[in-house]
Amino acid sequence: MLKAKLAASAALITIFSSTSVLAADEDIKALRAEVQNMKQAYEKRIAELESKINKIEKEKSLAKSVAPILATPATARRDVKNNSFNPSIGVILNAQYNAFSSDTGDIAGFAVGHEGERPRENFSVDHTELNFSANIDDKFFGSTTAAIAQHEGETEVELEEAFIMTLPGAGLPDGISIKAGRAFWTLGYLNEHHSHTDDFADRPLPYRVFLNEAFNDDGAEISYVLPTDLYLAIGGGLFSGNDFPFGENSGSDIGAWSAFARVGGDISHDQSWRLGGYMLSGEANGSRFSNEDTVSFTGDTNIYAADLRYTLAPTGNARNQEILLQAEYFWRDEKGIYEDTNAATGPVNFDNSSSGWYTQAIYKFDQQWRVGARYSQLDASNVPAGLVGSALDSGGHNPKAYSAMLDWANSEFSRVRLQYNREELSHGQNDNQIMLQYIMSLGAHGAHKY
Amino acid sequence: MQQLLRIFIVLLLCATPTAVQAKVNVFACEPEWAALAKEVGGAKVKTFAATHAKQDPHYIRARPSLIAKIRRADLVICSGSGLEIGWLPILLQKAKLGVQPGAIGYLMATNIVPILEKPAVVDRSMGDVHPEGNPHVHLNPNNILLVAKELSIRLASIDTPNAGFYQRQLSSFNTQWQQNIKTWESNASVLKGKTVVVHHRAFSYLLNWLGMNAVASLEPKPGIPPTTSHLEGLLQQLKASPADIIIRTPYEPSGASKWLSEKTGTPNLVLPYTIGGDAESRNLFTLFNRSVNLLKGTNHD
Repeated sequence: MLKAKLAASAALITIFSSTSVLAADEDIKALRAEVQNMKQAYEKRIAELESKINKIEKEKSLAKSVAPILATPATARRDVKNNSFNPSIGVILNAQYNAFSSDTGDIAGFAVGHEGERPRENFSVDHTELNFSANIDDKFFGSTTAAIAQHEGETEVELEEAFIMTLPGAGLPDGISIKAGRAFWTLGYLNEHHSHTDDFADRPLPYRVFLNEAFNDDGAEISYVLPTDLYLAIGGGLFSGNDFPFGENSGSDIGAWSAFARVGGDISHDQSWRLGGYMLSGEANGSRFSNEDTVSFTGDTNIYAADLRYTLAPTGNARNQEILLQAEYFWRDEKGIYEDTNAATGPVNFDNSSSGWYTQAIYKFDQQWRVGARYSQLDASNVPAGLVGSALDSGGHNPKAYSAMLDWANSEFSRVRLQYNREELSHGQNDNQIMLQYIMSLGAHGAHKY
Repeated sequence: MQQLLRIFIVLLLCATPTAVQAKVNVFACEPEWAALAKEVGGAKVKTFAATHAKQDPHYIRARPSLIAKIRRADLVICSGSGLEIGWLPILLQKAKLGVQPGAIGYLMATNIVPILEKPAVVDRSMGDVHPEGNPHVHLNPNNILLVAKELSIRLASIDTPNAGFYQRQLSSFNTQWQQNIKTWESNASVLKGKTVVVHHRAFSYLLNWLGMNAVASLEPKPGIPPTTSHLEGLLQQLKASPADIIIRTPYEPSGASKWLSEKTGTPNLVLPYTIGGDAESRNLFTLFNRSVNLLKGTNHD
């Protein structure tokens, strides 16, 4: 439009100037030059305007292509963060029937916390879990998990996790995230996982004695995934020091800290692995009570752990067949004062170490069926003279446990498991155990963690 | 301890990126999207496929290698609609801001194309149904075109200096692809109205495009493996009204479809489903060629 008008006016001017017979040749030349100048100037403007319009149109089309994604109401679709509900809600129904051949399940040579004890016999619905999680906003993700458990005839609600975690939108450098609150912290393989995702109905011996099933103190953890082709992650945390293996920290001092490094990758298309090294260090300022409050420990604890996990899908498709191998090793160093009130030892100075490990193999031979075997073992410390005859005196016995399991999963959301354990945890105490368990999840779709 | 610390520092230094990567890193959840990124991005992109044709893309673990890959991705392209719900959210927590949901580098095919089989009511007793509808969208070639257009726009805005390049790549792909669609459609016209038994509803978009009808699935409910009682029921159903073909993906177990095929005499067929599903299906063009030819091969009347 603009261009046409201009061309017309330029033409008019040219016509007028050419019809003016009286005008001198020079005048005509000057006029022509002027018109030419005007024409050029306008053409330049027009070109500029046109490019501007083009640019705006381009931006508009780009906005259009992105807008529908943003504009879709949250209720109309479940986006990949699993937010069909905001927050997403998950309930784990977990029940177990246990039968044991031995009356006692003491672990010789170890101070064992309540969770680490042998589970209850008969039917129980311990570890029924309720989870809420969602992105809080563009910067934070939040999650809380409460477990409902039975303890000495009373139903207790236990806050397993209540944490926030930074999202990539939080503005931290790429690969860094911070998690704060109460969580199953990064330590070995199983610690991060809720027990309902375990491959066996109970935790292996090292978890029972060293971590009282799991370390979920209050604190904060930072982790960094390096920008490398091989998976490399490092991190560390600071904790209040109130959870087993520490205890009763008071005051504002940080009670415990941790550090970890992990490396992992794939071997060809169908195998993958991860190896980790961990350290957890802290103190029990007050006292850490165990063995039904008869044994107390005050002092420093260092735990060093390593884990290895390897997965193989023999046909390529892990859904049809899969082999999972997993092993963890724990080494604990304790320095402080032990006291066993049952054995009336009085306070005894203690500076020694103990260790434990387990290894397990799971074979999924069909879309729904898996078999598994596990072996765990502990090596107790040598006790000083003052503790001979106490719960900490293993009498030279290294506790060990053999497990075998068979489970069937109808879908991703339900699993039924039969497990047999033979535990030789104290001298002459051979315990044959049968565990029958179901784990069902309703609500949020579970995560396929490695 | 000090030794360890030293090793850490050395590792850290080694890991610091030495030069700015010129290529756009594309993380594709499935091989078909990796192939599309190669068509549109050409040599300007570096693609990585998180899964291969022998894997069921729903049942993937967020394994370490995937975290390492997504950590550096500039664009994530997946099917979406819950297909990757078990693993993609965990991976994205470690990824860059530019590939988070809603960002320009987060491209879910199911957000671009028309969706089939969107259930009106969702209940897990119906199996692992996706409330957003069927996520296996790539087997309708028209969907590929829609996603290709979107992908070229996204690539152009991530890598602005090469915007013109992506535009040209798209238009040449577009022309070629549309010609091929015509050929496939005329080749497959005899397939119209044929009845099919599927293993899982992984082929709905292909069948819908070719005008074929899925009359039954071997899975009693999506995500639930075939049961004897369900197969027995299918056998009766097929005896009463026979189907033309039984199809499955390369990653689904063969037992059920072979059994039903033997009992009913209905040919059973493994379709490539995605890139690498068989030796011939090396790219998107050969994938569709091969699928149409295989389906036609069973057509003897």
